This record gives sequence, structure tokens and C-alpha cells, in this order.
Amino acid sequence: MSLAAEAFVSQLAAAEPWPENATLYQPLKEDQILLSDHASSLAVQAYLRMCGLPVQVLCRVNSEFMSPSGKIPFIHVGNQVVSELGPIVQFTKAKGHSLSDGLDDVQRAEMKAYMELVNNMLLTAELYIQWCDDATAAEISRPRYSSPYSWPLSKILAYQKQWEVRRKMNAIGWGGKTLQQVYEDVSQCCQALSQRLGMQPYFFNKQPTELDALVFGHLFTILTTRLTSSELAERVKSYSNLLSFCRRIEQTYFEDKSS
Amino acid sequence: FYFFLVQSLDPLPMHGRDLGVHPDDLIEPPEQEQESKQEILENKDVIVQHVNIEGLGRTKEDLLGYEISDVFHAKSLIDVMKRAHVARLRLLRLGIFKDVEVLIDTSEGTDALPNGLDVTFEVTEIKRLTGSYNTMVGNNEGSMVLGLKLPNMFGRAEKLTFQFSYGTKETSYGLSFFKPQPGFFERNLTLNLYKVTGQFPWSSLKETDRGVSAELNFPLGVTSHTLKWEGVWRELGCLARSASFAVREESGHSLKSAVSHTVSVDSRNSAIFPSRGALFRINQELAGYTGGDASFLKEDFELQLNSYHHYCYCGLVLSASLWGGMLYPIKGQPSCIADRFYLGGPTSVRGFGMYSIGPQSEGDYLGGEAYWAGGLHLYTPLPFRPGKGGFGDLFRTHFFLNAGNLCNLNYGEGPQAHLQKLAECIRWSYGAGIVLRLGNIARLELNYCVPMGVQSGDRYILRFTQICKISVI
Amino acid sequence: MAAPDELFCWEGDWGLPSVSTDCLVVLAYAQFAGAPLKLRKICNPWRSPSGSLPALKTNQKETLSRPADIIIHLRKQKFNADYDLSAKEGADSLAFISLMEEKLTPALIYTFWVEPKNYVDVTRRWYAEHMTFPLNFFLPGRMQSRQLEKLRLLRGDESLEAGEELEKELYCDAAECMNLLSQRLGSQKFFFGDSPSSLDAYVFGHLAPILKCKLPNGKLQQHLKSLDNLTNFCSDILLLYFPRDGRESSGPKAPPQPDGGDFDNVPNKRRKQLLSALVALGAMLSYALLTGMVSILHVQQGALEEPPDLEPIESHQHEEQGGS
Repeated sequence: MSLAAEAFVSQLAAAEPWPENATLYQPLKEDQILLSDHASSLAVQAYLRMCGLPVQVLCRVNSEFMSPSGKIPFIHVGNQVVSELGPIVQFTKAKGHSLSDGLDDVQRAEMKAYMELVNNMLLTAELYIQWCDDATAAEISRPRYSSPYSWPLSKILAYQKQWEVRRKMNAIGWGGKTLQQVYEDVSQCCQALSQRLGMQPYFFNKQPTELDALVFGHLFTILTTRLTSSELAERVKSYSNLLSFCRRIEQTYFEDKSS
Repeated sequence: FYFFLVQSLDPLPMHGRDLGVHPDDLIEPPEQEQESKQEILENKDVIVQHVNIEGLGRTKEDLLGYEISDVFHAKSLIDVMKRAHVARLRLLRLGIFKDVEVLIDTSEGTDALPNGLDVTFEVTEIKRLTGSYNTMVGNNEGSMVLGLKLPNMFGRAEKLTFQFSYGTKETSYGLSFFKPQPGFFERNLTLNLYKVTGQFPWSSLKETDRGVSAELNFPLGVTSHTLKWEGVWRELGCLARSASFAVREESGHSLKSAVSHTVSVDSRNSAIFPSRGALFRINQELAGYTGGDASFLKEDFELQLNSYHHYCYCGLVLSASLWGGMLYPIKGQPSCIADRFYLGGPTSVRGFGMYSIGPQSEGDYLGGEAYWAGGLHLYTPLPFRPGKGGFGDLFRTHFFLNAGNLCNLNYGEGPQAHLQKLAECIRWSYGAGIVLRLGNIARLELNYCVPMGVQSGDRYILRFTQICKISVI
Repeated sequence: MAAPDELFCWEGDWGLPSVSTDCLVVLAYAQFAGAPLKLRKICNPWRSPSGSLPALKTNQKETLSRPADIIIHLRKQKFNADYDLSAKEGADSLAFISLMEEKLTPALIYTFWVEPKNYVDVTRRWYAEHMTFPLNFFLPGRMQSRQLEKLRLLRGDESLEAGEELEKELYCDAAECMNLLSQRLGSQKFFFGDSPSSLDAYVFGHLAPILKCKLPNGKLQQHLKSLDNLTNFCSDILLLYFPRDGRESSGPKAPPQPDGGDFDNVPNKRRKQLLSALVALGAMLSYALLTGMVSILHVQQGALEEPPDLEPIESHQHEEQGGS
């Protein structure tokens, strides 16, 4: 599709209101989904709930391959498919739903920067622990990732994924890190987030933004997922303001819906 | 002294003499000249004393014994020639000799009988390793194809072939090992290992298959059978971002392990322009009971009847064909887009876009679980016969009537409802065109066709279509 | 104190102390912190102790190659440019550095290594001209394939190719990132007040090559030049902390830069002559080999196919296409 045509289509999409049947796709919740994917998916769900946009969560075995970017989660709205939080934020913005309109330029720059901090350090650390720590990869990641497939495809796909992640780690210079160094990075990242949050209810005072959704998605998932070692969760738990931040968002946006 | 080169008898037809030779068939030459020679020689009784094979290198002799033993049973000279000719063809069929010459001579030596004959096969073996190299440039894609073949790998007509194609976008390869039973070439075993990539723009689908298969071929009476097991790792993906969501939902990996069985009876005299004979083929595939993720039972059949009529100084061939198939998902699993049937286009219902009939979503054709298609063709030579006896014989004009339907069945309903569903919304088309035979493997058609019964969503082509049909024999 | 640490860096050009972003980051930080490093500007990554550039060889004979590791090491040596930062400012640095790594790095890789015209006309040419003889033939190509691989892994797309769509996407991200940096910088001299910190080093390292290098496809440069505060930020750092390199550049800048430089340069001329002689020799040799190879192949095929006692006629027909 030419760029002009694409712009035209996205304008059309913007004109349409948010439909009732919007769906979010993620891997099977009980048996398949991994920490990093669950975190990203929860972040998008939190964001959409903060915007007040209804979305139905569907679990599919092949959601990773259905996604246009190969990343989880993605949403299907009307006849549009959008994956990952960043593009989804832009997509909802085009439809007139935004959480960051009240911020000034510097704040918006900081918000984007902190979002990239989470992606660059927390998400990468999650991937590292999942696939580059041999114990976690063997006991949790590979069995869960390959659970829907039959032998020998399950083995092939799991090792293929592991190899791909390890290559990525080498390319970004994380290949030489030890597990302890990665935990240090997580601490550093949480330290930065905790500093930025301070005593405020949300990162930018009274109103939640997409940064809050992203941080919640990752921290809440880290806190509630059982891994081979609890070190990762322990690192997060030492920042009390981040803990109460997670609890606050969970209570505000997730609990009243389920009751 | 008799001295014959049986090679001159080469064009002798395998299935006896055919009196209804029709004038356009190039392959069958007149045979009158040989008649007189044969009559003189026919009555003489002879005994074949020795059969020798010369020029063998790696080939094991025991393999050839089966192929030529029949020559010993010859009673007359003409019989010897015929049997030697058959034996020669049998040797060539093994695919391990570049050339085979037959020499028939009177016996010599101490134990020679007065009417004793020696038959000598002079063979030239194909080299141990043959290779080929090709580069292909298509639209948006260039590729390099490297092929290696080891005919006669262990000396008993085993064949190992390897093909590797390295493209700018995709690489694919195939390794295949073929082993015939000595003395019974038609009974053979093939093992395959491959990776192929296909792009299906009518479905916005991209498929990469990596698989292994084992195939057993054997004849039984007039029928030939194929038993096959196949294990494939299939990777489906969208061809473009704009692919419909229905196709997107099918993306991902799956493992298919299937056993299939094919029976066919083929009495046609040519696969491209048959003028008489019939073909019947039925194929069934069962997936899911030998492992893998996909489970279904698939049945399909093909029937083709040809008959030749002489009318107004020219030969007309009337050909009727019928195809049909059904896919039955088992274990409550929905069928996969890669397993379903597709219909439409120059190989089935002319006048419709390639595989562009039936269920679709946002312009992508999803295929169906049941289909049928039929065709009625009338082939004639070109009007006014230009280039007769030469180039012009590669062409035919044809008139056709095609019909077919593709849909999904609700398996809860009875057969009555299924038949009704298949009879609804039949697509059909008629037209005329020119067919060109390219070698013995392909045909090219230029048609004018009128599609009828077009349903909303079908893609159809009015006016001229230029199409190509490849059938690999 | 013991002998100073040794820092290995890519050579500079275009008025920059080094052409590589990572080297620039380290160099700038070392300048900001006043770390006394023994600087080795080289054009052969194989001469670096880690095989890649930049690399820091400490006096304990350790080798560090990631910019972040080098900065941490310098910080431990009490050369800390971030000493005055508050905890919140430290957090902001971390966040903006991540922002650049996620949004600007892919665009930088694309514009220098993947965009065909830029790569062939500038990047490849620069590296080929600056490397020593046998290396300049294959090392630039290998560096490119590494960078392309990295970009593919960063984007998670195995079959990524240079193209309009990808370029638009990456440049859009990069432009947004520059805007955000510009907004954060505002009218300050440095990101956190009047003295530079590690964030300034990172921003300088990422933006200076875009600003200074004349690329045929210069969309990123155009955008950067529209952001005055960032442009001034980069030139101020160059002027204040790398005065020598800045002056060096203004000298040969007057004659047209990459083209003119070569002809009046005597050692270069020598090398070129030698090179062209070598090329001619190589071409002749390879032609001889090629024609020779054909005949060798013939013989080999014959030998492969037949036992040697058979008549040699067979070797002429070396291609057999069995009817399939």
C-alpha cells in the first residue's frame, strides 16, 4: 500500500469510533504465556482500561505469529490490527483517546524516555532471565513456550526461540552479562522509576498515563509470577512506593471490574 | 551370418500393433517396410545360447539378469528381436544407462549349436555423479538452482537426487532417495527430505514446509498404488500486512503427520493430448493418528474419459472429466487453510481467477471442505491445418464447457443436504481456444471464455486468458 | 597513580574526534570527567585488545568494550561527571539514554550502514580508505553485515531490507526522539545545568555524526538542523572539549572534502598506485586461473564419473539431464 493510501486509511480509521467488539490477543494464559509477554499484554490491558475502552481478551496458541510485528499483544479493532503498546497508544490517540494530553512538552519527553527505560532495561532483563538463564529456560520457558505443539516441533520451536533471543542479547551487548549483573540492572531501573515516582500517586501526579500502564504491567507481572528463583521479585519488592503504586492501579482498574 | 541392430526397431509400440493410427499422431510411424523382412525370418527356429552384457562398470550384474532373462525364451528370430527390444527398453527404463545397443549374432565356440544365437547388450553407463546449475530471474526474485544426481548409487539402480535453490528471498532444498526392487522396477521405495516455500496471493498466504516422507509404489493388476507417509512442519504466515484477519488467524506453526493411499488406472495414450483411454485416480489421506497437530480425513478423485471420432477428414477428440473431493475434520478440530481445497482457474473451471471461487474473507480465498468440478472438451486440429505434419501438429483448437462448485459443508446434516449444497450456486463457463503442447510436460492455452454463475466475491476473467498448465509425468 | 588507562578508538573525520557513536560517547565522557587516558586512534579493529572499538585497556590489564562499562569503570576511578546530579536527575539520565538506544540507534545504523547510497558513497568509502590494504577489501562489508544483523534483531524482523517503508518508520522514531531531547534540553547549556554529565556524552555521541557527516540521504541531518538548541549543543561541545579536531576539520574543509583530499596527498597516491598495480595483477591472475579452472574441472569430472581406464570421450559430456 502506498504511503498516501495508508494515511487515508488511518484517517478513515480515526473517524470510526471505538467498537464494542475490540479484541486483544495473547497466548494461553495458564499453560503458555511467558513473563515478558504477560507483562506487555497486561500493560496494554491496563492502558485500555485507563482510557475506558472496552476490550475482550482472547487467548490463542498462535498469537505470536498472528501479530503483524511478531510481538505480543496485539489488538484487532474494526478491520485494523495493531501490536505493542507504543503503536496502540498512537492508534487510540487517532481515535481521540489519550492520557497524555495534559502534559507539557518536557513532561511528555520524560514520559517517553521512561517508557523506553522500561522497554530497554526491564523488558530486556525479563527476556534475558527467561531465555539466557539455563535453569529458567529449561524448567519454565521452553516447556511453556512449546506446550501447544507436539513433539518434535515443540523442541524445534523452543530452541529456535531461545537461539533468536540469545542472538539479540549478543547484538545489544547483553550476551556477556551474568545473571547477577542483570539483577543489578533491574535494581537500577527500579531505583530510577522509584525516584521518578516519589510520593505521587502516578508518575505525572494525579492522572495516569501510558507510562503508568507500562510500569504496572511489568512490575505487577514480575511480582505475581513464580520463577525458579524469587530474586527478580525481591529486587522490585525493596521499593515500597512501587509496590503501593502497583496495588493502587490494580485496585482502581482491575478489581472493581471482576467483582 | 545374421547381423541386426535391433535399435532400428525402436518405435515398435509396446502394446501391440494399433490399426487405428490416426494421422496426427507423430510418434507412431508407418510399419509397412518391416513386414516383408519379418516374414522371411519369422519361421526359422532358433535357440538363444548366450546373453552377454558388455560395458558394465559399477552396475551389479544380478540386477540386469532379471531384466534380460526373457530373451532366453525366444523361439524364432523375430521373437528374439522383439524380446531383445523389450529387454533393451527395460534396461533403459532403469535410468542408469545412457545408451543400450543390442547385437544378435550366431553362436561361436565349441558348444555352439547350428541354430544357436548369442545376444549381446552393449551398455554405456551414466556417470556416477551428474550435476546441473541454473539461475532464474523472475519478478522481484532471483534464484540459483543447484542439482546433483547420483544415479545407480550402489549399483542396483538406486538414485539419490539433491536440489538446492538459493534465492534472494527464500531458499529451498530437496533430497530424495529412490530404490526399486531388483527385477520389478515398478515396485519401488522413495524417501524424501525437503523444504519448500510457496506464496499464494489469492489467499494472501505464505507457507514454508519442511518435511520427510516415505513413499511405496507398486502395481496390482491394472491399477497402480502409492502408499505414503508424510511428516511436515508447516509454517503459515501472511503475505502482506493487509491480509484478512481470517488468514491471520491461521498463521503459525503446525505439524502434520499423514498416511495416504492413491490408486490409479491410466489407459490414456498421452498425458498432454490424450486421444483415447481413461484415467481414474482416487486418493485418500488420513492425518492425526500418527502424531502431529492436524487431524482430518481427505478424499478426492479424478476421472477422465477420452474418445476419438473420425469426422470430415479430421480427427475429433471428445474428452470428459470429473473431479471431486471432501475433507472431513476429525477430533473436533477445524480444518487448516493449507489442507482445504481450492477451485477456479485454468486447470479446473476456466474463466475464473486462479483458485478464486468459494468462501472468502476481505478478498482472500479461504478454500472449502468439499468441491466438485467437471469439464467437457472437444479437441480438433487447427482449422485449415496450417503447418500440417510439423509445427502445426503441436496445436489444437478446443471448445469447452466447465462447471464446478466449492463450499463448506455442515457435517451435522445428512447427505441429502450436502448434495443440495453442492448443487447450489454452480459456477460454470464455456468458450473456445487454442492449445499448444510444449514438449511432453506442459500445455499452453489461449482461450476466449464466458464465465457464468458468478457469485459475489468470485474473481472472474472475461475475454482472453493466457494460461499454462504443467503436468509433470 | 599507575600508568593511565589506554583507550582505543576509531579515527576521526568530518570535524569529529571519532566517526563511531560509541567512541564519541566514551571520548566525550572522558573529557567531561577529565580522565587522563592514553588515546590510541586507530583504523584497524583487529589491533584493539577486544577486537572491536572502542576498547579500554585498564592498568590492571582488563579490557572493557561497552561504553556503559567504560563509563562505570571511569566513575570508579573517581572520574565522575555525574557527581553533582541528584537521584532524580540520575534517573532521568538513565531514561533518556534508554530512549536514544531504543529510538535513535536503529536509525543511526540504518542511515550509515543500510541505506544503500549512504553506505556505498560515504561509510564504505571512508572505512575502505582508512583501513590498511588487505583489510579494506572485506572488513567494511563484514561490519555492514553485522550492523544489518543487529538492526534485524533489534526490530525482530528476519527479512528486513532497506526500503522506503522501513526508512520512514525509523526516521520517524528518530525525529521524535530528537524532538523530545530538544524539548528536554530547552534553553539550557547542558541537560543538567551548566556542567556536562554522562547524558550529555550520550546525546553528543549520537547526534554529532548526524550533524557533521555529509550523507547523500541526509533526512536526519535536515531534521536535526531544524532543532537549533541541539545543533548548538553539539557544536559547543566540539568547540569546548575537542578544539583540536574542530580546527583540523576546518582546514581541509575548504577544498571539497572527501574527493579532493586524496590527490594532493603523497602517501595516498603511492598507495593508490600500488593498489592499482595489485588490482591489475589480481585480475590477470584470476583470469588465468579461471580459464585454467575450466579445463581442470573437465578433467576432474571425468575422473569423478569413470574409473580411469575408460576411454576419455566421456569427459566431454559433463552435463546429463535425465528426463524427470
